[in-house]
Amino acid sequence: MNPYRRSWFVRIATVLVFIFLYAPILVLMLYSLNASRANVLFAGVITRFGPVQTEGALIVQSPCGPFHWFCELAKNREVGNAAKNTLIIAVTATVISTVIGTMAALALQRYEFRFKPFAQLSLYIPIIIPEIVMGIGILVLFSQLFTFLNGAFHLRGDSQLSLGLFTVILSHIAFCIPFVTLVVMARLQGFDKSYEEAAMDLGANELTTFRRITLPIIMPGVLSGALLAFTLSLDDFVITFFTNGPGSTTLPIYVYGLLRRIITPQVNALSTVWILVVLTAVFMIQRLQNRNV
Amino acid sequence: MKKSNIWTLLAALVLASLLLAACGPSGGGENVTSSGFVCPEPENKVALTAQELNLFVWTEYIPPDMQECFELVYGITVNRDEYSSNEEMYAKLSSGSTTYDLVQPTDYIVQPMIRLGLLQKLDKARLPALENFDPNYLDLAFDPGNEYTLPYEAGTDAIVVNTDAVENVPAKWDDLWKDEYAGRMVFLDDSRAVIGVTLQSLGLDPNTQNPDDLAAAKEKLSTLIPNIKLFDSDSPKSALIAGDVDLGMTWTGEAFLAQQEVASIQYVYPEEGAVLWQDNWAIPAGAPHLDAVYAWLNYTNQGNIFWMMLRDFPYTNPNQAALEYAKGNDMKANDVNGNPTTLGAIYDAYFNSPVTNTPADAIAKGFRIEDVGDALPLYDQIWTELKGGQ
Amino acid sequence: MLKRLRENKSAQGALLVSPTMMFMVGLLIIPLVLTLVISFGRRDPDGQVIYDFTLDNYRRLTGFTTDCASGAAFCFNDLYLQILWRSLSLAFRSTLVVILLAYPLAYYIARAQPRRRNTLLFLVLIPLWTNFVIRIYAWIMILRTQGVLNGLVGAILTPVLPLLSGALNPLLASMHLPLVATTFTPLEILYTPTAVLIGMVYEFLPFMILPIFTSLEKIDSSLYEAAADLGANAFRTFLRVTLPLSMPGVVAGTILVFIPVMGTFVVSDILGGKQYILIGNLIQRQFLDARDPTFGSAASLILMVLTLVVTFFYTRRFGFGEEIVPA
Repeated sequence: MNPYRRSWFVRIATVLVFIFLYAPILVLMLYSLNASRANVLFAGVITRFGPVQTEGALIVQSPCGPFHWFCELAKNREVGNAAKNTLIIAVTATVISTVIGTMAALALQRYEFRFKPFAQLSLYIPIIIPEIVMGIGILVLFSQLFTFLNGAFHLRGDSQLSLGLFTVILSHIAFCIPFVTLVVMARLQGFDKSYEEAAMDLGANELTTFRRITLPIIMPGVLSGALLAFTLSLDDFVITFFTNGPGSTTLPIYVYGLLRRIITPQVNALSTVWILVVLTAVFMIQRLQNRNV
Repeated sequence: MKKSNIWTLLAALVLASLLLAACGPSGGGENVTSSGFVCPEPENKVALTAQELNLFVWTEYIPPDMQECFELVYGITVNRDEYSSNEEMYAKLSSGSTTYDLVQPTDYIVQPMIRLGLLQKLDKARLPALENFDPNYLDLAFDPGNEYTLPYEAGTDAIVVNTDAVENVPAKWDDLWKDEYAGRMVFLDDSRAVIGVTLQSLGLDPNTQNPDDLAAAKEKLSTLIPNIKLFDSDSPKSALIAGDVDLGMTWTGEAFLAQQEVASIQYVYPEEGAVLWQDNWAIPAGAPHLDAVYAWLNYTNQGNIFWMMLRDFPYTNPNQAALEYAKGNDMKANDVNGNPTTLGAIYDAYFNSPVTNTPADAIAKGFRIEDVGDALPLYDQIWTELKGGQ
Repeated sequence: MLKRLRENKSAQGALLVSPTMMFMVGLLIIPLVLTLVISFGRRDPDGQVIYDFTLDNYRRLTGFTTDCASGAAFCFNDLYLQILWRSLSLAFRSTLVVILLAYPLAYYIARAQPRRRNTLLFLVLIPLWTNFVIRIYAWIMILRTQGVLNGLVGAILTPVLPLLSGALNPLLASMHLPLVATTFTPLEILYTPTAVLIGMVYEFLPFMILPIFTSLEKIDSSLYEAAADLGANAFRTFLRVTLPLSMPGVVAGTILVFIPVMGTFVVSDILGGKQYILIGNLIQRQFLDARDPTFGSAASLILMVLTLVVTFFYTRRFGFGEEIVPA
């Protein structure tokens, strides 16, 4: 039987589900060209180029034509700052949580030690805990800690410890680690130890064995875990809101705040840019992968 | 070049240009903002030791020109973190040590914040800007003598109606209970405001802590809630403009913006009294950059700066100096859509709208939401019960 | 010392896991313990916690109170149990719909050419990388009375309905069957529970597709050949071979969908018009609008316990799925 055979039922269902997945994305992108500032109904596209002219809430002319909102977005310095912060946090949290999480996966899958059941159980907490509870809990924790440390070391003014990029990154690492660990653990299951034993027999020490045998084999799992961590960190709102400080606003916080007050097409423009950047990045990674194969 | 190389290069270019587009063009020359506004000099300029100012404010509530002018004139960076509800701000400030210099609490949350020691007293000697305000907005019950707060913007919660879609325009809160409005209304998702309005319509104290009164309000509200199509405290105008609802309860800014989109939308001050509210500046207890704080408060409340609020945000403006500055002023400026107009025209639009320029009798009949201390969970329980029974 | 470390396996394990434990204990367990302590406290008039030991918050959740409006000694208010039940019901229904939608897609990708598989997987993941909340707002634009969906359906039905009703209604009337509408009335989906279900399904669909795909992909194609050799048709093969072997993926996906749906408040807020109160909404309200962290903490703990219980029984019955993400 052809292993690639898929019935017509499956094909049609797949197409329908993909339409379901992408309908909102397409609507979002369409509305970024909306001529109506209120962005409640789609009022057509701006067709005339020139200085900005409005008729009520409709923009009938713009220097950027239909891409008026993208130009508005470009003038928006808050977005640039938020995007920068979001990326810094996501990349840092992903790298650190992947390293730590992989180490934990190795420990839990291969070793026996005291507190092992406790460690396993604690991994599930970030998955079941409501975000607002975690957010406020961490905020209280940091506050007490900073108050104590600031007092003990007599730190004042700008040199005192306070909420900021650092605290956000720490919280993100905390909720990313368990996901990385679980994914890598899944990959470690059924891992054939004989490769490692063979390497050690040939004289390699633990570190070399890990680097040249173990790591390459579990790499797909590690990368999946990293991808998951990155996705979670990129989109986090609640925890970031409570643990961030002045100047460390992220894109989700900025967008969520904006959406709740003024839903101009500028937000749609931001989403469209975001999607295009992601698509381009994915596309580039695909190209790189195919070249390496 | 190989085909795949070309694609990769193209992709990199797209990525780069998109990222670059995120960084826009920076401001013009000395003390001119990126929109072309020439920043006036501060009336009481002080030398600052602080390098930055940390604002924790409502989303989209400060004119970009205002912030940019302050940064240009004083040469320091303004960091702006935002929140979308007083409760979020309160939760963050009360849970821990933050380093914000200024916050914008609404009237009802000022007392709880003072009691918790979250705010510090204003040093009036450093605030010549205090004279710029209309006395009607000063010395209010939630902060007698303005020990802790300065007014920012004020407004009302009242009835909004699309007169094209609704035959009988309601005149009081009580009218909204009528069957003809069933399934056509949007209300604020605000337990205090909605229960308060219900109490008011029953002739009771809208800030009561009396369980019997609250039971009566709950009883009455239980007949209204099923008729409400949606609750929205974020952007109720969307549902109105889209035609999802025909009338409801909303606040000043939303009604004004909805009116601009759909001219038949009207704002009605109910006979029993609308909700009055006021947003204020307040200084958190641990603010690290006090000199910058006072510089900001004095500079932004100058008449020749604060008039921007008339253009950018359709709320009631408590700053008398700003109103006097804008009235009849021929100075050219861009309106909120970027079309050229004059300050005088902006003032007229503000003054002539009963939405932004609340009529005196509406203010007289109106009531404020006040802190109810221990009774707050009771309000919330009622709210949850009424909404949860779906 | 290094030599002793090499030989002591237990110490090695402990060392490897220690950074994780520092984060877990510091940033998760301590807040959790704090939440537990607070749940037994009382609320002061400003919403701050008075550290005490009282079970009032938990009692309030069960609905039994001693202070009744009717004056009876003991009465029962099922408000919170209703909310709990509603959340459970929504979580179960969402998960079911997600499985039904995810399975065909995962099957398609698993049986695709290997080169195209990665592309298809990325296509599934890309919506996840746009902002969570923006995706929900997009659904408002689709589902509202004058939205995209009604626009499309209206465009099709407006010309068709008069003809259809004109042709069929006389017949239907004579048979006492419901008549076809003569004109198109827009579907009222937004701000109803249906919209909330659609939103939940949409948000968590990719989390089910990936695990099911992983377990389907692992199935050795020789098993299909063997089944065919034994005379099984396509449907029977699916039922007796494919489905059982894909169960670990279904289980993993269920956990990844069920748990977040229980705790999410954003979807029911935005798509339900803030009328659809789930446990996530309740908890959020307590910490913010009601300023009652003691009750909020109690509700959070009950939610966590409930989630653990359901997950425990589920994994006991169906086994623990290891395929969380393709690895």
